[in-house]
Amino acid sequence: MSSSEDRAVNAFREQIDGPIASYLSSCVHCGLCAHACLFFTETEDPRYTPINKVEPLRRVWKSEYTFFGKLASMLGVAKKVTDDLLEEWEPLIYDACTLCGRCSMVCPVGNDISYMIRKTREGMVAAGYAPDGLKGATQRAVTIGSPMGVKFPALQVQIHNVERETGLTVPVDVHGADYMALLSSMEIMNFPEYIGALAKIFDKAGVSWTLCSEAFEATNSGMQIGSSDLEGELLQRVVDGAESLGVKYVISPECGHAYYALRWEGPNVLGKKYPFQVIHILELLDQLRLKGKLKVEDKVDEKLTFHDPCQIVRKGGVVEEPRSLLSLVASDFVEMEDAGVMNWCCGAGGGVSANERAQPLKLAAFKRKKSQLEALGAGTMVTACANCRINMEEGLEENNMQIEVIGLTETLADHLA
Amino acid sequence: MGSAVEQNVRAITVADRLRAQGISRRGFLKFCASTASLMALSPAMVPAIARALENARRPSVIWLSFQECTGCTESLTRSHSPSVESLILEQVSLDYHHTLQAASGEAAELARETAMQENQGKYLLVVDGSIPVKDGGVYSTIAGITNVDMLNEVAAGAAAIIAVGSCAAFGGIGHARPNPTGAMPVSEIVTDKPIVNVSGCPPIPTVITGVLAHFLTFNKLPDLDDLGRPLAFFGQSIHDRCYRRPFYDKGLFAESFDDEGARKGWCLYRLGCKGPATYNACATTKWNQGTSFPIEAGHPCLGCSEPDFWDMGSFYRALSIPTEDTTRTLVYGVGTGAVLGAAAAAVARSRKSKAKAAHYKVSVNDLEEST
Repeated sequence: MSSSEDRAVNAFREQIDGPIASYLSSCVHCGLCAHACLFFTETEDPRYTPINKVEPLRRVWKSEYTFFGKLASMLGVAKKVTDDLLEEWEPLIYDACTLCGRCSMVCPVGNDISYMIRKTREGMVAAGYAPDGLKGATQRAVTIGSPMGVKFPALQVQIHNVERETGLTVPVDVHGADYMALLSSMEIMNFPEYIGALAKIFDKAGVSWTLCSEAFEATNSGMQIGSSDLEGELLQRVVDGAESLGVKYVISPECGHAYYALRWEGPNVLGKKYPFQVIHILELLDQLRLKGKLKVEDKVDEKLTFHDPCQIVRKGGVVEEPRSLLSLVASDFVEMEDAGVMNWCCGAGGGVSANERAQPLKLAAFKRKKSQLEALGAGTMVTACANCRINMEEGLEENNMQIEVIGLTETLADHLA
Repeated sequence: MGSAVEQNVRAITVADRLRAQGISRRGFLKFCASTASLMALSPAMVPAIARALENARRPSVIWLSFQECTGCTESLTRSHSPSVESLILEQVSLDYHHTLQAASGEAAELARETAMQENQGKYLLVVDGSIPVKDGGVYSTIAGITNVDMLNEVAAGAAAIIAVGSCAAFGGIGHARPNPTGAMPVSEIVTDKPIVNVSGCPPIPTVITGVLAHFLTFNKLPDLDDLGRPLAFFGQSIHDRCYRRPFYDKGLFAESFDDEGARKGWCLYRLGCKGPATYNACATTKWNQGTSFPIEAGHPCLGCSEPDFWDMGSFYRALSIPTEDTTRTLVYGVGTGAVLGAAAAAVARSRKSKAKAAHYKVSVNDLEEST
């Protein structure tokens, strides 16, 4: 086995493509990305400047793709990718980045910095430099089937409970159904009401759907840790499950990174087209609303706001759908500052929530959301990502704030006509 | 000491002088207008120039000729005589000039010393020729005094210095490699006086009279370029004002001195014309009372008003050969660029495919938690 440094350099080399090379050569070192990153704004630590996080990748690019870099390599004075560097950068790349993509929005030369950091993670994980928590989660995802170690029998228990509560049947392994719903283990374990909400809404709307016993987990820890190999392995399970049931659509649950991995990275990682379409639950619900198949009987009176999950709003472009849906049930809806595509991240995406070491930093980053919420004075915050939701609950509790956090799908289900 | 008669002569103004010479006031004003336009001054300045010149007292001028060929003096005295310009030259009290003065020997040197004493701090010093400084300056002496000593002595009491000709301005031929006498321009020896460089080998006479007229009118020197030359005359290149410029723009060049292009008056760039790199007024003011200038006579510009023009290689070597066939060159250029680009891309691709071949597949076994 080659050394960790060699593995990292080789992986970086593999990742340097046209976009990466042009991004690196067009960076003007303006530092605007720093102020777009909540890890910088809440700590003012310049190491957390987003573009600085790609330094290991940049070194390989510089020494192999630039004149002066090549010259420096020839003379033996180039800055090399070393174990020390990788170790030093590991917390910057994993603890202080949620891949939220806000930095990519402000870059004046159009560099997709979040994409660069995602690629940098490939080299980090290949060399063995990833946080233990995230390693464990990925290991469980690959060996057990879910980052939280949830197996199908556990889901069966939750399905049973939901069926008892709602009096509806939750279809499992139904061949020829139109939609195959995926879940995040966060939903299975902490928010099983999401399953009930799907059952109620789809029952009313007459949607033909099913769960798949072989592929119910949507969370992709492989993508979060930055290994396309593992990401592809996890995605392949979903593809196999969907193919075996012959569904037309796969529904990404209320989980940001699952949607990003499944919808945008999947076909590239697997190197082939899906035989089905991927749709986010909010997109499907809004389609139902437009068809008149989603009707509510009453509204929430309380002042409520919506937290845009980064991957859904910024990378998925799902901006109007949640607002249209909320207009059905909210009588007093208020927007947070920077709502929509510039929304501030909850601070726990991209694998940060699985990384215990990042806990203090994560809570420091939550100050941003805290001040946004304090300025608003809303009693309820709706979101569409189980990971955002659980992190918000944790952050609010830590800061003694009395704000209820709920999922959008179940909010709609609770008020169905 | 100047006699009463001399004092009276000094009191005579330009206007008096012109009338005595039979120059009409109309002719005088015409000169003032052309001087104003040459110096790029506003037409409103014409009456000011006329008034100043009419009332100007003859300033004392000491002309020192050092390591030179007398071409500058020839240029000034012969070509324009008896013009209004030469009258301006006559108007100054030329108290010392080797070539022009009648006196010789001690009497000549006495005239210089007298003029210096009487006009201390007010006289104009005109210098032509370079100043040899090697071996104590022995290579050129006048009346037993080295050029460098004489320059320092006379410059000390001068109001301003006009370095006439490329030798005085930039060192000229004396300064050309290997410069055996250690020839230097005025500006490298005198550093504490205002100096105007009227370069050229020889310089255009009008430029000298223009600078003098400016000095008489405004009592100060005109605006200068970075080489100390009057901007009004040296602000544009010969090339930019050359009547053969349209041929250059069309890519029509004479290839030899007797080919069809030469006969048709095409651009002389390929025959070594230094016009594009030479700043002077030749193409507009012309020579021999506005008759023509070298390029008009079919010869490329030598670049004589630029520093070190003797050392710039052959007069007949082009500055750089322009592109023969733009389209073809462009195609070759683009082709070469594409090939280089493709080669660079191929190297990058092979590096990347090698990296792909060496891909290390990450498996769960790599996710051992560190202890």
